[in-house]
Amino acid sequence: MKTEEFLKTAVATPGVTGNEGAVAQFIAEAFRPYVDEVSISPLQCVIAHKKGKGPKVIICAHLDEIGMMVSKIEEDGSLRLERVGGVDPRVLPGMRVRVYAKDETLLGVVGATPPHLLKEADRKNNYTFETLFVDLGMSADRVRAKVRVGDTVCFEARYAELKNNRVATKTVDDRGCVAIMLEAVKRMQDMRHEADLYFVATCQEEIGCYGAMVSSFALDPDFAVAFDVCHADTPGAPQGSTQKITSLVSSKGPFLNRCLEEKMEAVAKENGVELQIAVDQRRTGTDADTITVTRAGIPTVLLSLPIKYMHTNVELFDMHALKEGGRLLAHYLAQVQESWEDELWI
Amino acid sequence: MDLKTLCDLNGASGDERAVRRALIDAAKPLCDSVRIDKMGNVIAFKKGKTGGRHLLFSAHMDEIGFIVTGATEDGLLQFRPIGGVDPRVAVSKYVLVGEKQLKGVIGALAIHLQSAEDRKKVLGFDSLYIDIGAASKDEALADCPLGSYVYYDSVFEPFGDGCAVGKALDDRVGCYNLLRILKGTYGADVTCAFVVQEEVGTRGAMGAGFAAQADTAIVLEGTTAGDMGDVKKTSRVCEPGLGVAVSFMDNSSIADRALYKELLALAREKQIPCQVKRAATGGNDAGAYQRSKGGVRTCVLSVPCRYIHGPSSVIRLSDVEAQYFLAKAYAEEAK
Repeated sequence: MKTEEFLKTAVATPGVTGNEGAVAQFIAEAFRPYVDEVSISPLQCVIAHKKGKGPKVIICAHLDEIGMMVSKIEEDGSLRLERVGGVDPRVLPGMRVRVYAKDETLLGVVGATPPHLLKEADRKNNYTFETLFVDLGMSADRVRAKVRVGDTVCFEARYAELKNNRVATKTVDDRGCVAIMLEAVKRMQDMRHEADLYFVATCQEEIGCYGAMVSSFALDPDFAVAFDVCHADTPGAPQGSTQKITSLVSSKGPFLNRCLEEKMEAVAKENGVELQIAVDQRRTGTDADTITVTRAGIPTVLLSLPIKYMHTNVELFDMHALKEGGRLLAHYLAQVQESWEDELWI
Repeated sequence: MDLKTLCDLNGASGDERAVRRALIDAAKPLCDSVRIDKMGNVIAFKKGKTGGRHLLFSAHMDEIGFIVTGATEDGLLQFRPIGGVDPRVAVSKYVLVGEKQLKGVIGALAIHLQSAEDRKKVLGFDSLYIDIGAASKDEALADCPLGSYVYYDSVFEPFGDGCAVGKALDDRVGCYNLLRILKGTYGADVTCAFVVQEEVGTRGAMGAGFAAQADTAIVLEGTTAGDMGDVKKTSRVCEPGLGVAVSFMDNSSIADRALYKELLALAREKQIPCQVKRAATGGNDAGAYQRSKGGVRTCVLSVPCRYIHGPSSVIRLSDVEAQYFLAKAYAEEAK
């Protein structure tokens, strides 16, 4: 499957944190042709195994997405929402959403008071989850027959190709990075590797990186490569919080293994892949945070895909940077060898 | 021409060309003459069998939108609204920009990078921008020069039970019904005016009213419905599903009392679903017609639209039918 096609379908398949079954199935099938074995773990992580003699490496990117749940059905049939993960309510008014009801997927519209009815004071306040609602275009009775409190609600999936290979869509965080793993695994069909590779699309990252925690415990790897998104340059961002959108970012900091990171930089240089360096002085806010302290500790390197407008329906990234990320990962994994274990702390 | 085709066309005030072309093509086979006046309004005329009365039906072809006003060094487009747009609804929407209809998104700082103070702040048009993926100011402005129009990239689709969601329902529903009215035959002379620039001050209707020969003007509109969520009961204006909304008054005009009563009675007689618009909100072309030349009797018939002036307005399709049937019945009965 072409990476673009994979991503288009992946972002449109629901997988709000804690309810990732559908997207896990899709990702498992996408990896299957390129690996020796694919399984789905009890918490809905996808584990794609590409066998090698060792060392054992896990590569992680999360498959869950931020989203919403129905928290109440009002008398007029409108739905109130509770967020799952960090959804900014300011992006919701006027948005079309998908409500995953009992037997069907319903189109909904997030309502907002029309400008004609707004008082001057209203205009100074942002919408919140208390004031927003979803309109299903049905009578309250019909809504109650179809929708239950707790049903999942996702942003509508759009996919817009912009200038300079840039794309805007939802859930680039973090299926964009799952696409990087797929791109790498496809490239590795024609490459030799020694390492025993487990590509893991992890669940429940958005509420505490729990999928990465249990997967790395279960697989007990020698090293880990963690992937997530980071912020690309955006007006108004605090100084030092963003990176250029045009290439991947490798992180340095106390949580991450310096030796594995330096090897990443060397592989990038050797293969002409542009790579930026960022600093995470403490927690990284990614799967790396839990992986690194699983079992007796797992040395980890972290790569990030810079995106704009994170946690919205218009997450924007550079497709060239994504594909280059796949190329970098493939070359890196092809070079992993047993002797690396001796170098980690020396 | 179906409602979806009309709504999916882009035509903000001053940039109505695509809509105008489509309306002229659709109207020509249905009437005696079609002309474009000096404002860009499309005036379709149908000679009556008996003559005597001359009725004007009007709908506006323009919609709200945005216009490019500049670009930042890193290639983001700055913009301003055309017509009444709540900037809080514009955040994080897909748009189409300029003649080439380039895809873009309206961006805002990610939630992680906002301070607690930022989160409270409403993002106004000064702090919003359009991202088309351009890497520099020159690249952005080469494709989207100053004055380029911007539209929500938003398609019409049916949803729920007999509802539809889309942009520009205000007032392509009216345009759609004018075309249907032109298909009928009437005793009275009938002019159907598809007017421009309603959203920036009912400017098209001023010219159309000046030139019109009609004794009565009926404006077909899409109007604010505020029947869901936390809108106070007293501010609910009108409700989708209850039929065409007849206005006794709005911010631009007071309906001719006899005409208003006549329309309500006609709806009752013909069993056309009908409601009275309950709050005097919004202005529309009726004000311009009423005070054109020596004065013209007016009344407004509206389709209730939720979330009007946004990318996802919601209507009930049965209300579009009710608007058509009431306007047509009036034309047929006019003597």
